[in-house]
Amino acid sequence: MTLDDLLYSTYGFSSFRPGQREIIERVLAGDDVIALLPTGMGKSICYQLPAKLLPGSVLIVSPLLSLMQDQVAQLKKMGEKSVVAINSFLKPEDKEKIWNSLSSYKFIFISPEMLVQPFVKRQLQQLRISLLVADEAHCISQWGFDFRPDYLRISEILPTLKFPQVLALTATATEKVTEEIKKYLELKQPYIYCHPMDRKNIVYDIKKFEDGREKLDFLKGFIRKFNGPGIIYAGTRKKSQELSMLLTEQGISSAFYHGGMEHQDRIFVQQQFQNGELQWICSTNAFGMGVHIPNIRHVIHFQLPTSIEGYVQEVGRAGRDGQPALATLLYAQGDEALLESLVMDDLPNQHEIEAVYREGSAATYLLDQGIVRETAFRVLSYWITKLPLEGVIRQMELLRSGKRQQAAKIREFLFHEDCLRSYIIECFDQELLDKPINCCVNDGIDYTAFEAYSDSKEKQIPLEWQDRLRVILPI
Amino acid sequence: MLFTELILAIMKAVNRQRTISSPYHLIKGKKSGQTIQDIGYFGLYPYFGVLPKLDKKAYDGAVQSLFLQGYLLANDQVVDLSEKALDLDIEASPLNGWKYRGNENLFFSRLSLIVQTFSHFSQQANVFDPIVSNEEIQSWVKIYLNRIRFRDLTVAQRFKEELVITLTDTAVSETHKMIVMERLSGLGLSGMTWQQIAASKNLSVMDVQLMAVETLHGWMAVIERSKPPLLTGLMEGIIQQSSLTESAQRTEKLFERGFSLEQIASLRQLKSSTIEDHFVELAMNDPYFNYAPFVDAALFEAIIAESRRQKTKRLREIKEHLPEASYFQIRLALAIREEQG
Repeated sequence: MTLDDLLYSTYGFSSFRPGQREIIERVLAGDDVIALLPTGMGKSICYQLPAKLLPGSVLIVSPLLSLMQDQVAQLKKMGEKSVVAINSFLKPEDKEKIWNSLSSYKFIFISPEMLVQPFVKRQLQQLRISLLVADEAHCISQWGFDFRPDYLRISEILPTLKFPQVLALTATATEKVTEEIKKYLELKQPYIYCHPMDRKNIVYDIKKFEDGREKLDFLKGFIRKFNGPGIIYAGTRKKSQELSMLLTEQGISSAFYHGGMEHQDRIFVQQQFQNGELQWICSTNAFGMGVHIPNIRHVIHFQLPTSIEGYVQEVGRAGRDGQPALATLLYAQGDEALLESLVMDDLPNQHEIEAVYREGSAATYLLDQGIVRETAFRVLSYWITKLPLEGVIRQMELLRSGKRQQAAKIREFLFHEDCLRSYIIECFDQELLDKPINCCVNDGIDYTAFEAYSDSKEKQIPLEWQDRLRVILPI
Repeated sequence: MLFTELILAIMKAVNRQRTISSPYHLIKGKKSGQTIQDIGYFGLYPYFGVLPKLDKKAYDGAVQSLFLQGYLLANDQVVDLSEKALDLDIEASPLNGWKYRGNENLFFSRLSLIVQTFSHFSQQANVFDPIVSNEEIQSWVKIYLNRIRFRDLTVAQRFKEELVITLTDTAVSETHKMIVMERLSGLGLSGMTWQQIAASKNLSVMDVQLMAVETLHGWMAVIERSKPPLLTGLMEGIIQQSSLTESAQRTEKLFERGFSLEQIASLRQLKSSTIEDHFVELAMNDPYFNYAPFVDAALFEAIIAESRRQKTKRLREIKEHLPEASYFQIRLALAIREEQG
């Protein structure tokens, strides 16, 4: 059976997307691989397909619970039953069952903190792991926008697993980050696949205003000028609710989405958006992961993103169908000060460093009592095992200046006078080879490429419960 | 029933004998001795644990609005109900929190996934993202669907019929029923968030959540009574055999094996007062509870008589006149009186 046959019989696709074949062939040839593929380019196929041909199990290290759940759900949806997810939320009785039958699973998803537990290590030792996948591998980089210290510990498990081959997957990585992935995963001579970061069909726009009032007015006009589907990224939960309310008042269908909502409500909003029942989602950065909607036409940043990498990832959710999509960044004077404090607030402060250092990483009561914040605790718990106090303080200083640089890049981007596309691409150490006609605000944008607003999408809403049931069950 | 009406209903039942925070613990389903025992004293069974995720700030806000609207009056230590509150006609509610113990969520999750499956399969869409991500519920529903041969369209039709008939028979308003239907998803029509439902009806999120629980409790009672063949299957494991908390059950087992209250406390490494709470809970739930090992018959009668004379269930007021009785004995006697009287 050829790879193409396998692709067709498994997914029903008749051809690979750019990069997939190269990556899969290298994996099957037994090489370590670092693959940089933009979001939505089918990263998971790169380990799912080889798994069909490789003996033993594939171990996928996944940094985020929601991401893990989503990938497990996707695999199951395709009819794959040999999947298991191991994370700290497992119930004791389920764990028991899983440990007893671990070797029978083809796909084993695991969170990095579970990976290094001695008991788990012993269980994994008895397995034949033919491929270790580090998903979202950029999390390994302490410079990255979502550093997961536990990720650095993946290398600790490699000897236990008798050094399986490794596939590191990420959507965003600069050269520096790629080097770090190589170093921390102890990859000697990996094959590096680097997909061009540029998304030709995304047009970059920046709008600048005197104050927040003007920004809001612009948004009100925008949603009357263009049709969705679109995402409006707000900086805070409260803002996401306010913006959604504003849109609703204008008679535009929208909903807000943030991490403070109950799980079922979040699923409902995703589904409504997927079904086309909503034009706009007003969201914090919680929205996006695991959302598979190809026809998102707009991504609006109502507040400044905290890094170019984060910006590119959020913008990258638009236009996965290849049709034109518009990324609009809104800026009002003074926003950059807000950005600075937002970025810096995340970092552990002197007080937190000392507290964790004094009490040790087992002192979770520091978290419970709100003495140390969660992210800070996570980062510090790792470093105090590696460095003396002064070293940790210096490390945090470095982190701080790294973050400051990222914020500076956003500011530079904002006031950049040349091609924005080139600017972004260069941030990823790539070169822009050819520019699309519709490129960015500095090169002129043809807005007619985007569907103009139409009122016609008004849907009939059932008024009685019997009517609603009839729509859901037309039998 | 609106959320503020729920608070008033509870305040009415406790009749000036409890603080304004006691409805909060009751609604959240706190399993402390005080809350459990109050359920028996004041007949608060319907309201136990009906909104387990209730937020304290939201609760305080609702209480505040009751003060502002003149339903509640501050009076020294206690909170009084105004004439307006006492005259308020609160509609009868099918709430039954003590019986269902939050399992209406299990019932509804199963129902959501089944309806979603029928919706897709009956319209030839055999692949979809399940609306319920809990794997335990997913596998339960899989087994259930295979057992009823869900691919047969007539089965789907019968399921829907049962659903319509039983929900029609449920004694709540049409708005109540709509709220529950709006939490269901099907092909091309997604469930709505609490906030969306509340906004569309000009109610608060807590109101619509409470109304959903009322509907589900009423609905499950109809299903239990009329036993429709397909829907009855969804009730599996919904009603706990024992209405005791788990911890009280363990105490009961040890007591039956002959251990004394103190022995149980040291065996279980719990405070005696906690074990006392368990006995009060046992007494509340068992009409034939034998109080003899804890309080002699004469004292028992004296406590009951004193409570009747003073028309109170306040422990302190009873103890003032019966200093020889311990608080535990008073609580036990009152719990038994509720049950047997």
